Amino acid sequence: MNKFKRHVSGLSLVLALLMVLTACGGGSKGGEEASGTQASGGESANSGDTPEIVMPFFVLNGIPEDMQAVNDEINKITKEKIGATVKLMPISYGTYGQQTNLMLTGNEQVDLMVVGTWFNYTTQVAKNQLLPLDDLLAQYGQDIVKTLGDNYISAGKVKGKTYGVATMRDLADMYGLVIPKDVLDKYQIKTEDIKTFDDVGNLLATIKKNEPDSTPLVPFGPGDSLLDNYMTYDNLGDKLGVLPGDATDLKVVDWFEQPEYADLLNKIRSWYEAGYIMKDAATNRDSGLELMKAGRGDVLLTRIKPGYAEQESRLIGKPVVTIPLTQPQARTSSVANMMWGIPRNAKYPDKAMQMLNLMFTDKDVANLLAWGIEGKHYVVKSDGVAGYPDGVDQNNSKYNLNQGWMFGNQFLTYVWEGDSPDLWKQLQAFNDSAVPSKVLGFTFDQTPVKTEVAAVQNVLNQYKMALEWGTVDPAKVLPEFRKKLKDAGIDKIIAEKQKQLDEWAASK
Amino acid sequence: MGTTLWQRTWRNVARNKAMYVMVIPGLLYLLVNNYLPMLGLVIAFKNVDFAKGIWHSDWIGFKNFEYLFKTSDAWLITRNTLGYNAVFIVVNFAFSIAIAIFLNEITSKFFSRFYQSVLLLPYLISMIIVSYLVFALLSQDTGMMNHTILPLFGIKEISWYNEPVYWPFILVIVNLWKNAGFLCVVFLAAIIGIDKEYYEAATLDGASKWKQIRLITIPLISPVIVMMLLLFIGRIFYADFGLFFQVPMESGPIMNATNVIDTYVYRGLMQIGDIGMSAAAGCYQSIVGFVLVLLSNYVVRKINKDQALF
Repeated sequence: MNKFKRHVSGLSLVLALLMVLTACGGGSKGGEEASGTQASGGESANSGDTPEIVMPFFVLNGIPEDMQAVNDEINKITKEKIGATVKLMPISYGTYGQQTNLMLTGNEQVDLMVVGTWFNYTTQVAKNQLLPLDDLLAQYGQDIVKTLGDNYISAGKVKGKTYGVATMRDLADMYGLVIPKDVLDKYQIKTEDIKTFDDVGNLLATIKKNEPDSTPLVPFGPGDSLLDNYMTYDNLGDKLGVLPGDATDLKVVDWFEQPEYADLLNKIRSWYEAGYIMKDAATNRDSGLELMKAGRGDVLLTRIKPGYAEQESRLIGKPVVTIPLTQPQARTSSVANMMWGIPRNAKYPDKAMQMLNLMFTDKDVANLLAWGIEGKHYVVKSDGVAGYPDGVDQNNSKYNLNQGWMFGNQFLTYVWEGDSPDLWKQLQAFNDSAVPSKVLGFTFDQTPVKTEVAAVQNVLNQYKMALEWGTVDPAKVLPEFRKKLKDAGIDKIIAEKQKQLDEWAASK
Repeated sequence: MGTTLWQRTWRNVARNKAMYVMVIPGLLYLLVNNYLPMLGLVIAFKNVDFAKGIWHSDWIGFKNFEYLFKTSDAWLITRNTLGYNAVFIVVNFAFSIAIAIFLNEITSKFFSRFYQSVLLLPYLISMIIVSYLVFALLSQDTGMMNHTILPLFGIKEISWYNEPVYWPFILVIVNLWKNAGFLCVVFLAAIIGIDKEYYEAATLDGASKWKQIRLITIPLISPVIVMMLLLFIGRIFYADFGLFFQVPMESGPIMNATNVIDTYVYRGLMQIGDIGMSAAAGCYQSIVGFVLVLLSNYVVRKINKDQALF
């Protein structure tokens, strides 16, 4: 009993201390903010009192060595044009979502950042982490609106307000086939002969007949199913409830219940059984291009766009061609996956919008971000394309970011050597020719049904890959999959989506 | 009585001033590092809105917890998490105690060290690499099992990543291979600490090796065993994320055998990224762990008071 009492008194001491500390924690918040301002105030004093815009973005291939040098060059321009400097903050793609989340929740200064459905855009909006941009766009961003056009601007809207702005890049989706040219030549197949999934099946059959030991079809990448990007519908953000392409009204349907889905699965299953598909496709961890390069297969199906064939040819080391299987289509999802937003933590939202506008209008800024410093990281060749200076190549270049599509208007940058000099014209035409979805600009907010979404995601993880690579028999597994989706509450998600879609349509 | 208790405490403090002052840095460290963050648990009960701040966000009760229980998989993931961890504890403890005893019997210093290092090595390998090692064995296109080992016995090739029946065994074996070395080192340290005179006396009395192990070694290291056991039981509701997420290669058909709470939460929240819901999962796991530790400690105390942790 004595021992027990001693424990209690010790415990109450701890609790009392805890409460004191909590009180301190609550009070210190204001202090923290004040010191934060002080620190950055001191910093800007060094650079002559110009505001500094903190600008995180993700990099795919490692942070370039000369990032700071490029940053300094950009600051020379921005100081003069918008009276501010920027602090570029490259973060590798794998940790970008997590790291920016920490910065936002930790109340750090972030003025302009890459957002989008790749990084939980709608959650960030629902949690009030991003500022509405409409007023800022009207005041400082007219050039952005002019360049993108209302259709593509609308893709960043949630409940009538804009929280993200896409960049000028390839903004439409097209699904198609990537195949080395020599394979087509060998079997004397013309690109015009392949238009549908069945044609692809025939092509695979031809290859398999002549090379019985090969498995011609390889996955595009880890975690990618064959049907992930093949969309004859608008996925309305997450595929949980879709709008069929031929729909005349705004009725959300369950894609996994559609007969078309079942037909596709049966087709894929027959390919798998005939040995057209790599057996480990559903658990594959390699990039499709690596597999192709290593000779594991000849065909892959993925999103394609003008210039894609040249890009892949360089990577694989032999010429490949792309053959479209769908029309280019513009959906909210193809635009809103990568955008720029201004978080609530921003210290200089005005300057941030001016910077974004500058990336859309200033050729020098766009080229600096895309290719680096002229003469050092790239030179302009005679036909107006950019290339490496003498003695510099892909491996020793100190600025090989190669992400022009990420910063403002890509069409302001130079085309890189090896690409068609009129690539930007082709891409512009591609964007213009895209069929806009009837519901372009609708963004689904998952938060009211997040319990169901979490359960449904687990069901998808369990069944989707195996079904959509043909590893399991759809006759047996598809009914099970559908039942589990129902159990997990997909109907509730669809009902919520329908409700939001109707509201959106009514407000237009 | 309250006052006497207070007085007694005060006298105690006054007498041991120096001791209490010395405790302060450690206590502060514990508070800042271990207790202050616990306030974050309120996130689990709130609908976090950054415009309002965490403290002023709306309370929503247990809504963030719902997804853990409302799904048809709730029973499955709970069963898998607890079941696997229980089996892991039993198998890992049995093996590593046995190995530790064997290692202790090896008289050559060189070989004893060598085996220890070899056993410990897997513990230091990242799970991602382990997952590729397993894949190299089990892959259908190129795996060693299907292409070299099974044909030796005339068994037809098995589609490992599509057959849930094999996975309980695969996961237990991989876990044992990876973690037994570490536990073994802990037990070996305890065994080495036993006074050699016990064994000498036993040998003089004619006790066999087996009897020495049963009657000297095991009883003398049992405090360490019980302590490790209690520590492991506290984490029984946390699955080894690397093992359950990386090793099965995200393969759907075997997920009924490989989905545990941690992977379920990860997959469910990948897209939504809701901090309230992830805090709820963490809260649920720690409460279950806490209760289990208290319970098992209580049981241990009933049996043998000296071996309880507290």
